[in-house]
Amino acid sequence: MTIWWLAVILVSLISAGIAFIWLISKLNRLSAPAKTKTEQLLDATNSDVEHIFNDEFREELRNRGRLHFEKIIGENAMFLQQDLRLTTSQLNEYMKQELGAKLREEFSKYEESITDAKQMAIDSIEKTKETIEEQRQQLAQQMSTEIEAEKQRLIDRFEQNMADIINHYLLAAIGKQIDLSDQLEYIIAELDANKVAISEDIKHGA
Amino acid sequence: MAHEHLRLPLSVISQGDAMRLRRELAVLDEYIKQAELREPGTSIKALPKTSTSLSEFTQDNHLNMLKEEDRANATEFLKSISEHAPVIHISFASDPSAAFMRKLAAWFRESIDPAILVNVGLEPSIAAGFTIRTLNRYHDFSLRQQFVEHRELLLNGIRGTAKQAKT
Repeated sequence: MTIWWLAVILVSLISAGIAFIWLISKLNRLSAPAKTKTEQLLDATNSDVEHIFNDEFREELRNRGRLHFEKIIGENAMFLQQDLRLTTSQLNEYMKQELGAKLREEFSKYEESITDAKQMAIDSIEKTKETIEEQRQQLAQQMSTEIEAEKQRLIDRFEQNMADIINHYLLAAIGKQIDLSDQLEYIIAELDANKVAISEDIKHGA
Repeated sequence: MAHEHLRLPLSVISQGDAMRLRRELAVLDEYIKQAELREPGTSIKALPKTSTSLSEFTQDNHLNMLKEEDRANATEFLKSISEHAPVIHISFASDPSAAFMRKLAAWFRESIDPAILVNVGLEPSIAAGFTIRTLNRYHDFSLRQQFVEHRELLLNGIRGTAKQAKT
């Protein structure tokens, strides 16, 4: 009996536990709030969308979109290339014209500047030449004057010392041939001519 | 004074000549005095040799050098000449000969002063002619001075020659 009773008791306890758990879960379900209709629709829509737009469909769409996008990009790239070429040629032409005009203008200015500079250089050279010529003339005149003065100075000096020069020359040339005896007559004549003066000197000196 | 009538011989020209003659006369005078004091029997020195100048001086002035009075007069005269005679300096380009100087001295003593002494100098740079220097003045009768005085003449001559050479 005991074992039977024990088994009965255990089974009753387990059944009571299962019933308690079921009751609790039932009560939880009953206690949660009920969803609104919109939410239910949304849930349903989502569920449908998930059903329709599944991964395969999405991949298909993605592939199509990529192809279409590539096509559009290719077409537009061609147009863009044509436009770009046209724009480039126009830009080149414009640049050529602008640059040509600018260059011509600049060259004109440059040429004008060079012409002015050349003219200035020519004027400067002319002035320098004139100045040099004037200085040359002045120098030549000064040199001529100085040479003339030096020449005159030498002539004057020669003339002043000419007596000594000739005397020296005579002395060197015929000094040994001059005999005092030959000069006696001249010496006596000179002494006679200056006799009074010499006599006066002697008397006053003595 | 006793020696006033004496005159210098033409061989005595310069102050040097006069001094030499004076010294010679003094030596002679001394010799004669020594000879007079000599004691008989002692040796006597030989008579000093007299120069041409002294001989000429004694002959020209008729002096007897054995007489003390004449010697005294001559000594006094030469002393007076050495101290007071006028002196003139004359220079030539070369050394004059003795004959030349005698003629010159004769002229000076006849024309200027009988007692004048002439000192001779040498000045080669004058080339020819002579210069005279007294106590106060200097006379230049040289060829150099002649050139200087006639410089214009020389210049004109040179300029004329230069012009002829140019043409």
